[in-house]
Amino acid sequence: MVTKTEETQLNRLENQVDNGGGGAWDYLSLVRKLKVRRSEKVLKHGLSILNDPKQRSSLGADEWTLYEQVAVAAMDCQCLEVAKDCTKVLRKRFPDSKRVGRLEAMLFEAKGSWELAEKAYASLLEDNPLDQAIHKRRVAMAKAQGNISVAIDWLNKYLETFMADHDAWRELAEIYVSLQMYKQAAFCYEELILSQPTVPLYHLAYADVLYTLGGLENLQTAKKYYASTIDLTGGKNTRALFGICLCTSAITQLTKGKSKEEKEGSQLQSLAAKVLEKDYKQRAPDKLPQLTTALKSLTLSS
Amino acid sequence: MGLAITVGVFGVLVLFHAAYSTIQYKGLLKITEDEFSGPPFNVVIELFVGLLLCFWAALTVPGKFQSIHPHSEENRIVSLPANLDFMTFNHRGKVFPVELDVKLRQ
Repeated sequence: MVTKTEETQLNRLENQVDNGGGGAWDYLSLVRKLKVRRSEKVLKHGLSILNDPKQRSSLGADEWTLYEQVAVAAMDCQCLEVAKDCTKVLRKRFPDSKRVGRLEAMLFEAKGSWELAEKAYASLLEDNPLDQAIHKRRVAMAKAQGNISVAIDWLNKYLETFMADHDAWRELAEIYVSLQMYKQAAFCYEELILSQPTVPLYHLAYADVLYTLGGLENLQTAKKYYASTIDLTGGKNTRALFGICLCTSAITQLTKGKSKEEKEGSQLQSLAAKVLEKDYKQRAPDKLPQLTTALKSLTLSS
Repeated sequence: MGLAITVGVFGVLVLFHAAYSTIQYKGLLKITEDEFSGPPFNVVIELFVGLLLCFWAALTVPGKFQSIHPHSEENRIVSLPANLDFMTFNHRGKVFPVELDVKLRQ
């Protein structure tokens, strides 16, 4: 999870490294810790460390971690030569490591030779059938080839064994959303909220899915989850604030005539609108008129 | 930091002095053969001063408190990590290869 302080730290370090201020290793460590995808920068700065024997040897055992990180980044940037060289160095150092084996299989993937990659993964799984990373790579490979239904099958099978893996649940939810299977996606997000109730972004995603599904009951639940997102973020999540406004206006449209709990809803909406206006005034004053017209159309349509 | 530690040490000394005064007072009571009903007033004041100094030092020396609020800057989650276990390589970046001339020198 990337918190606000970590994000600012990452941006500051990235700025510093890009402008030649040093601290490349710190930046790379932070990227690894936060698991963000900055392949191009990792490739550039990681290689500059690896190509400098003095800097490289000062890392000690972390050198090999860096080789792996750079190899994956290079695959992501399609610099297959670099990836190949890094993998070779690692293979020389660790002749029978499974982790390097996975890296080699990923190299096949990056090249697009799916059969070879599949074969490599299958043989790795034979040695250790419970290797989570390799199961996940197979899912990713199916996704990369466009076999989304196969990917869903694999992922469901994987989740039957490893139910506590929230990254996999999230991936499944995102795949379902991309296929517009919102009911299934909602189930996945429910699992995620159960396993990590303090992450506001899962609440937000669940609310988004429910709002998209529509219907009075779903809208009301969506509103509650938008409200819990606001609660967890201290009202600093703009999307959740907009969600409250949209949900309220949709609910009033559906319950026109039947005036129940209307008062509370309108109060919540006006509070959210006020916070939105304040936020826009502070951060993007030139977009304020657009916001006010949008909010007005929401209240007028109700 | 140095100031806080000095204050803390001073506070502990004050506490010890209070203990010493109480023992001395008890010895005095034995001579006058009075009943011990409680420490004298100035010792109680000394105890409180020592306690306060120790409190202040103990709260200052170890550093800052961390926030437990979910919406504070240190705890507020703004983005989820990229799902790197499921990363795929045939994305649009494939069409636009990196222009840098990069190579691993061995």
